Amino acid sequence: MKRNLSGIFTNLIIFVLGFLSLAAPFVLPQARNSGAHNASFPIMISLIIGLCLIIVFYEIQISIIDNKMIAFLGVLIAINAAIRFLENAIPGPAGFSPTFFLIILIGYTFGGRMGFLMGAMTMFVSALITGGVGPWLPGQMITAGWVGQSSVLVKWIVRSFNWSDKPGEVVLLSVFGAVWGLLYGAIMNLWFWPFLGAASGQSWLQNAGFLENVGRYSTYYLATSLVWDIARSVGNVLTLAFLTRPVIKVFHRFKIRFSFQVSGEKS
Amino acid sequence: MTVTTAWVLWLLSGMVFILSTRNPLYLLITILMFYWLGLKFEKERKGGQWIKLNLRFMLTIVGLSGLINMLFAHTGKTVLFDLPNGWPLIGGAVTLESIVYGAINGLVIGALYLLFNIFNKALSVKQITRLIPRAFHPIATMVTISLTFFPSIQQRIREIREAQLIRGNPMKKVADWLPILIPLLVSSLEDAFLLSESMTSRGFHTHSIRKYSSLYLVLLIISAFAVFAGWIFGLYDYPKLLSIGLYILAALVVIIIFVVSGRGNPSKSYKQEAWHLGDKIASMSFSLALMTTLALLFMDNGPTFSYSPYPVIAFPQLHWTGIVLSLIPGIPLLIQKND
Amino acid sequence: MINLTDLSFSYPGSTSPVLHEVNLHIPPGTLTLVTGASGSGKSTFLRCLNGLVPHFTGGQISGSITVGEVDPITSGPETMATRVGFVFQEPEAQFVFDVVEDEIAFSLENAGLARDEIDSRISSICKFLHLNSIRTKPIHQISGGEKQRVAVASALVNHPQVLVLDEPTSQLDPHSANELLRYVVSLKEKLGLTVLLAEHRLERLLPFTDLMIHLQSDGQCLIGPPEEILQELDLVPPIITVARRLHIKPLPLSIETFPRIVIPETMVPTLEKKDWKPQTSDGGLDVQNFSVTLEKSLVIDHISFKLNPGEIIALLGPNGVGKTTLLRAMMGLIPFEGNLVLKGQPIKENTLSMMIQAVGYLPQNPNDLLFAETVLDELEVTLQNHGLEKSHTELVQFLTHFGLPNHQDDYPRDLSVGERQRTALASITVHDPDFILLDEPTRGLDYENKARLVQLFQKWRDQNKGILVVTHDVEFAALLADRVIILEQGKVRFSGNPQEAFHHFPGYRTQTAQIFPDSPWITPEDLPFR
Repeated sequence: MKRNLSGIFTNLIIFVLGFLSLAAPFVLPQARNSGAHNASFPIMISLIIGLCLIIVFYEIQISIIDNKMIAFLGVLIAINAAIRFLENAIPGPAGFSPTFFLIILIGYTFGGRMGFLMGAMTMFVSALITGGVGPWLPGQMITAGWVGQSSVLVKWIVRSFNWSDKPGEVVLLSVFGAVWGLLYGAIMNLWFWPFLGAASGQSWLQNAGFLENVGRYSTYYLATSLVWDIARSVGNVLTLAFLTRPVIKVFHRFKIRFSFQVSGEKS
Repeated sequence: MTVTTAWVLWLLSGMVFILSTRNPLYLLITILMFYWLGLKFEKERKGGQWIKLNLRFMLTIVGLSGLINMLFAHTGKTVLFDLPNGWPLIGGAVTLESIVYGAINGLVIGALYLLFNIFNKALSVKQITRLIPRAFHPIATMVTISLTFFPSIQQRIREIREAQLIRGNPMKKVADWLPILIPLLVSSLEDAFLLSESMTSRGFHTHSIRKYSSLYLVLLIISAFAVFAGWIFGLYDYPKLLSIGLYILAALVVIIIFVVSGRGNPSKSYKQEAWHLGDKIASMSFSLALMTTLALLFMDNGPTFSYSPYPVIAFPQLHWTGIVLSLIPGIPLLIQKND
Repeated sequence: MINLTDLSFSYPGSTSPVLHEVNLHIPPGTLTLVTGASGSGKSTFLRCLNGLVPHFTGGQISGSITVGEVDPITSGPETMATRVGFVFQEPEAQFVFDVVEDEIAFSLENAGLARDEIDSRISSICKFLHLNSIRTKPIHQISGGEKQRVAVASALVNHPQVLVLDEPTSQLDPHSANELLRYVVSLKEKLGLTVLLAEHRLERLLPFTDLMIHLQSDGQCLIGPPEEILQELDLVPPIITVARRLHIKPLPLSIETFPRIVIPETMVPTLEKKDWKPQTSDGGLDVQNFSVTLEKSLVIDHISFKLNPGEIIALLGPNGVGKTTLLRAMMGLIPFEGNLVLKGQPIKENTLSMMIQAVGYLPQNPNDLLFAETVLDELEVTLQNHGLEKSHTELVQFLTHFGLPNHQDDYPRDLSVGERQRTALASITVHDPDFILLDEPTRGLDYENKARLVQLFQKWRDQNKGILVVTHDVEFAALLADRVIILEQGKVRFSGNPQEAFHHFPGYRTQTAQIFPDSPWITPEDLPFR
């Protein structure tokens, strides 16, 4: 019980911090025009995301991590990274990478913490493998982590409506994947926005209101990433629709074997 | 220059400098350093390719940023042409200044991209993994396992795909990937179980963070809020010392927690990197540069690296501190020769 | 050294015990061979020694066990790590790191040793196991045998008193397997270890075995010197079968200790092997002047042979010579030069689609094929892929050939190793192909499952199918092959009579051939005396 509470509490905190950081460029009118504040946004936001990641990882380490989980997730993350960079990728819309369905299904089957780890570490390991460690990595990690973490919500709904093993389960997961396809892109752009100097107050009218900034952001989003995000959504729907059932079956069989909260193990 | 710490300092000092300036000349100097370093790292023939690729990227991003800003911002005195005011958001005067401003933003993004690109080239995957603090040893082990399994999983995907192809799998629809995904998952997870047995048999255990862990967690959360608060205070006319104080406090708490939590875990590597003279000098220079940049940022009366094309475009001013700092990322070029 | 008193264990949720009141004593410095059918509890027994059972697996355990003076049940695997070293079956799956010396250092870092100590221990173990040449190499680039050596090094670097190995050679070719076992034996002598090994291919270890344990399906065990225990077993290596037939006592444990037998010339060998005649029909699979280049090196160098219907060809050769590459090229998965003629029709273009219809292919890892919910579904999948249909009763009938009649609704991954392989074989032959290609089908199989496989091959031959089997297992090939092809350095070194192959080529001699070098006999079945 205590574990669950600490987990929920941590998640709320991180969510609040993350949300505030995301919203900051919209909400904070610029008091000054000097160069110092142009710099502060991207650095500070990256720093805060980094701290959020550290907090979540720390919480996971003191709660549920053990040898079996390390091996289990380690291997799964390698699989996800390999799928991501497959040469003859899963047939799908252009620019689609089938990274998310495993993240969602892990969170769905094993809970929020594992879902978060799966998402965040997939991004981290992929970046290491491709030599793509960059300033966008913390943003990628935490957003992908949220994808996995929030899958618990779907589980909650499925349990309440008793939809396990019924078509409703797959439909709900597919919708969830579709939503995150778009949302992931939107959030990633938000992390990236400060790097564009968008919040500096120079390229936008001074004292621009919240709504007007939202308007600008929406257009920017439309112009740059909507196409990719739609492709990602469609891809998520396709993979989740066809692959959920068998994959969940496999996970369940291994869940018993791995039994993460082991009773037979000495502590 | 091979030592991980030196390159981390290089990264930090470079990043802070790039983000603190909008002066296109400084940015161009630094970008030049990056291209030069990139050439050094690439093998002979590939060097030309790499330059071309990244040049193309740089021009694209600069052009794109310029374009976006040109359409959205309508401040500046040098008007090039007018878009009808009726058009939402993009209606209004298109000015030279806004193009330049956007282009400079593009330079910043491009410089950052190159900075990290070089960083990835300079350090091996193992070195980057070792940067993970000791307190996070379980997660670092997870990363190591992923990296170790990656090649064999790629191989396995190929084998399974071939076996299923021969069996007649048409490999056209998404569902046709199930015969590859499922055997892959099952055999890999069985391997994972064996791996966890192997780890346990060799004494690996994770129950070292126990005693005050909840307390540490709360402290970490408070630190995060402290940093956030410090930032907000800094943006609104609160005294700078308040922000700096909060930052330093948070940093100390985090570092202490890392050290204390890390004690239960095995030391990450029994091998230590050898520090050459070049590494030492470089690291000192980078630390100095970093501190100087930060100090100059917080001072109100010192030389500034900012530049703005608004309201009327003018040639950017140069100050010797800026020139020196923009050259600092090039230090590894000197050391490569001595190594 | 090791004492078990009335040890019983059953897995969680299971009522039947895997180990039932096992009592045994193993003296220090001995090498003990642990045998038993697959699933009989060998792995479970071995894991009791370092505490993985019950700490890692859960379950009910009773009785007591001591290793040295320590009790693994109360101490747990972390404590036992410095007393018992464990080597697992899969070379691919035991490593955290991808660099040899980092992996060996892993055990020592966990124990919290100082840097200098770690350095010196790694150096000495690398010297013992001749790992210095690959010390800084990435693990995924070294061979299977080298990988297992690294696993042994990682297990021994903590200076344990006991070394446990769970089927360490089952995934290795014979040369690497023998090499690994030689290292283990020599380390045992040098370091005074107590070694316990689970193995299927008993003949490799018999000369060095002090004690043998046989675990039975009822959870009980037999323990004693190998000569005694071998008398009790049904399925034994050929050398023992021959010795039993000749009533030699005590049972010899190696070819060297086998008494010389002189065969009276009057005993005409009763051979019923088909003499190989070159076939001239058009119904075969004709490989003509085949060459395959992989990554700029010529792996297969102008090979020609023909696989005829109703014929079994065994393809042998050293590890890495390119046998699998040849199979892949024949299937059209990788480009080749030369010609491929299927039943009279050249198929250089669309090789893959033509071959799919005519061929059933079993990959090295048959688990790669299994993904469906039930055994029957696996068959359905292949049928669907080929656009064929068969009735439910037809399919169940088909499964009886594979010894799986009551398993049609079982989840394939839940079956035993042998059953899974046969499910895979059923799924690749359900479309009634004319030819069957198999890549190392005997890897990791015990004697019983190998015997079943032999029966299956014979059935296929009766159905006039052409079979090409790539194998390292000379005993298996000797039982079945109509013709033997030996590949070396990309070329055909020998193509012809099995009797010739298994007598005259060192490295490919069967045990029977070594016992009777002046005869044409290559398997115990060839012997005229019962």
